[in-house]
Amino acid sequence: MIVAEQKPLQEIRRMISPYERVLILGCGTCMTVCDAGGEREVSFLHNALRVAQSRSGNEAHRFLEYTLKRQCEPEFLEMLVDKVGDVDAILSLGCGIGVQAIAERFPDTPVLPGVNTSFIGMAREQGVWDERCAACGDCRLEDTAGICPITRCTKGILNGPCAGTKNGKCEANKDMDCAWVLIYKRLERLGQLEKMRRYYPMRNFRAVPRPKRIVRTPVAVGEDNG
Amino acid sequence: MYPSASSNFQNYAAYRTQTASRDHSFVPPCQAACPLRMDIREYVDLVAQGRIMEALQVIRGGNPFPSICAYVCTHPCEDACRRSQVDKPIAIRALKRFALEFGGDRMIQVETQTTHPEKVAIVGSGPAGMACAYYLRKFGYPATIFEAHSELGGMLRVGIPRYRLPREVLDVEIQRLTQMGVEIRTNTRVVSLDLLFDMGYKAVFVTIGAHQSLRMGIEGEESPGVIDGATFLREVNLGLKPSLGDKVAVVGGGNVAIDTARTALRLGARKVNILYRRSRAEMPADPAEVEQALEEGVCIQFLVTPTRIKRQDGQLNTTCIRMELGEPDDSGRRQPVPVEGSEFNEDFDTLISAIGQAPQTPGDFRVRIGRGSTIQVDPATLSTNRRGVFAGGDAVTGPATVVEALAAGRLAASRIYDYLQHRYPSVSKEEREKLVGDLLPETAEMIKKIGRIEAPLLPAEARIKEFEPIELVYDWETAVNEARRCLRCGMGAEILFQDKCATCLTCLRVCPYHVPHLDTTGTIQIPVDQCQACGVCVAECPAKAIVLRKPYDRRQVTEELDHVLKSATESKVSPLIIGFCCQYGLFGTGTLANLWRAAKAGIWIIPVLCIAKVEANHLLRAFEMGAEGVFVAGCGEQCARENTVAWVRNRVQKARKVLAEIGLEPNRLQTYVPSAAGANPAEWLDRFVEQIGGVYLASVIMQEVKVDSR
Repeated sequence: MIVAEQKPLQEIRRMISPYERVLILGCGTCMTVCDAGGEREVSFLHNALRVAQSRSGNEAHRFLEYTLKRQCEPEFLEMLVDKVGDVDAILSLGCGIGVQAIAERFPDTPVLPGVNTSFIGMAREQGVWDERCAACGDCRLEDTAGICPITRCTKGILNGPCAGTKNGKCEANKDMDCAWVLIYKRLERLGQLEKMRRYYPMRNFRAVPRPKRIVRTPVAVGEDNG
Repeated sequence: MYPSASSNFQNYAAYRTQTASRDHSFVPPCQAACPLRMDIREYVDLVAQGRIMEALQVIRGGNPFPSICAYVCTHPCEDACRRSQVDKPIAIRALKRFALEFGGDRMIQVETQTTHPEKVAIVGSGPAGMACAYYLRKFGYPATIFEAHSELGGMLRVGIPRYRLPREVLDVEIQRLTQMGVEIRTNTRVVSLDLLFDMGYKAVFVTIGAHQSLRMGIEGEESPGVIDGATFLREVNLGLKPSLGDKVAVVGGGNVAIDTARTALRLGARKVNILYRRSRAEMPADPAEVEQALEEGVCIQFLVTPTRIKRQDGQLNTTCIRMELGEPDDSGRRQPVPVEGSEFNEDFDTLISAIGQAPQTPGDFRVRIGRGSTIQVDPATLSTNRRGVFAGGDAVTGPATVVEALAAGRLAASRIYDYLQHRYPSVSKEEREKLVGDLLPETAEMIKKIGRIEAPLLPAEARIKEFEPIELVYDWETAVNEARRCLRCGMGAEILFQDKCATCLTCLRVCPYHVPHLDTTGTIQIPVDQCQACGVCVAECPAKAIVLRKPYDRRQVTEELDHVLKSATESKVSPLIIGFCCQYGLFGTGTLANLWRAAKAGIWIIPVLCIAKVEANHLLRAFEMGAEGVFVAGCGEQCARENTVAWVRNRVQKARKVLAEIGLEPNRLQTYVPSAAGANPAEWLDRFVEQIGGVYLASVIMQEVKVDSR
């Protein structure tokens, strides 16, 4: 799941300051789950902006709130067609994908990001999220016992651990586990320690074209399927 | 609009009709068990909020004679109460009594109008007859009650002893019936129903009760000094004082036997023995009353039955035999079997047999009589084999409870209404689902244990001297605390907007009772039979997909907030301070109401049904509307839940962050939890008001400085 964090209120206020009518747009999927832009956060932000406005006295925004099921699907965005005409800007509480999808669909309306899209991760407990995947496009988790060194090692090295590991913790942050110690322990448990002895060559990220696109070639109707 | 604590009767009625449409709640076990289907959960909750007038209104809406039930009801609701799976059931009957006494039930008058010409005769003035008359009057029919005795009330008058049901209570209810325009004919024994029809009555309700005592069928039963329980109680209750002698035996194990024994004690008998042929577990009498009788000094001999009575020298030489329990019979109770050769003799001055009663229907009524001399009726319509003749109460069921009789009377009234309107009986169906199932052990374990507070009783020594009512009424605080124990079965959270639910599992993680769970399809389920309606998940759900069934949902706080803000802005007080306060604790017991009055001007209170339902949004809204200070006050240690305040602190923290970001002092928003250690909420409030005053003053000065410097 994509995890994000709401931007500081002051930054949001600065962004919306040129616009009078603002649509605060939530997203009902990842942003709801990570508590950054679900329906509740939309109305909380709405309230916070209104308190700020009532106290400062020299702002005159009008807000609309709405939450889409997902901002990253063109079909869901069609639901906004009626609303977009009434607003000067859209403050999207979707992830970066949502913001861009809106920008693409509504070229004449400014869209502002209300959250900082942070990482792909998982909930550790209520209110705590951890990064787990870098979406590098070349998964090596088979060799590393299901623990990703790209994301969980500060250096992201493929042949660890480095000399900075101490008592299973990382030199960069004493509270953070060393990913390679975790990998070692789990490989030991699985009886696959020989995987530690192999050398994994550097990956050539230049060979990965950006932005990536996945095309699943469909079989066209009427073609010879045999 | 959810009414505030100050709103009156009419508002509440209007509000209830409005909200009926959004009532998704399940019928709780207490309501399902009540023959009158009273909305127990609702009035218990209103008592818990200290809204006694509204509680009384709910009670009166479901029960024609609640004050009678408040004294003598056998409370099947308490037997069904699911709180007993945690500790002890809610003391529902005592709470009803409290609501009636403190809500001013005696002052209430019921308005009626005669809109139909057809007269209805009611034969018998027991609870069923009275209830039938009450509802017939409400439907607009003229009703006449015929009573053979000199006073109305049936078994309530001649069967139930005064110490359990004070006669003033009964008289008030009868007075009310008279005010409603019910015609009353006492000392009138009806011998033939044809005569009633000749007199112009279009329908007759026969509710003659079950006054005929069953005979023991033993030798010497006819001796002087042997009487039956029903006759004995009738004589005592109608003002006679039979001389019993010193030593009295009562045969039987039902409520009548217990009443008889306790009445005998109060008449001055030195020693009262109850002879019961089974053991205590099989006794049909109310266990609480058995306990009270034992306290008062009644001696109960179990597994004993008399076999022969011989009168000698003014005494009853009674031969008894001991019994043992054999195989269970049809009723499921183990059948007593005599132990051979275990006979023994005992002398008594009086022997009262209270082994059961049956109705005695005059033959001229020409109604079909069934098993146990009861009148045969169609259970759905209460109609007998004769056209226009309906029957109900003990005469149909055999000896039963007051509340069952009231229910029969009410049913009869609506069926007679249907009959007189020539329409097919409209069988009312409960549309809401019944809540079934026990609490899961893991849920029950997480519920805070709070002991049941019994209504105080007079001490046993004082009780047996006279016929004063023995049960006292709760005081305000005790009643509120007892009512707060209610688990609000069937009112819990539901995911109303499944399409919004992102299955984020927040509810599953935050629930203090481990109620939400994932089903095999990966959908989150909040089982209604386990949910405790605390509202934590409702406030925490990031998708706003969860609501509580009934007015407990977030609309309550939001609407209350709007209402208060509107009046507050109109009143133009400054600095404006808004407090979200637990309606159950401080407010319910009146502490907060006093505090509110005593506090310096400018404080507006929003009563909330548990502070766990206050969301960060509500706090911000208060500031937006111009509040200078906001506080959330919980109920502290008397809280029926655990750790609700932790949730509030989280939300206060979140709102404070926003305040800081827009340049308001975060200490304008505070949480207050009274502790048992004598902390004075008023003092705290005064300090808070002072502090806000200071902050406010500073901000006003700053504003002026800014203006000046321009």
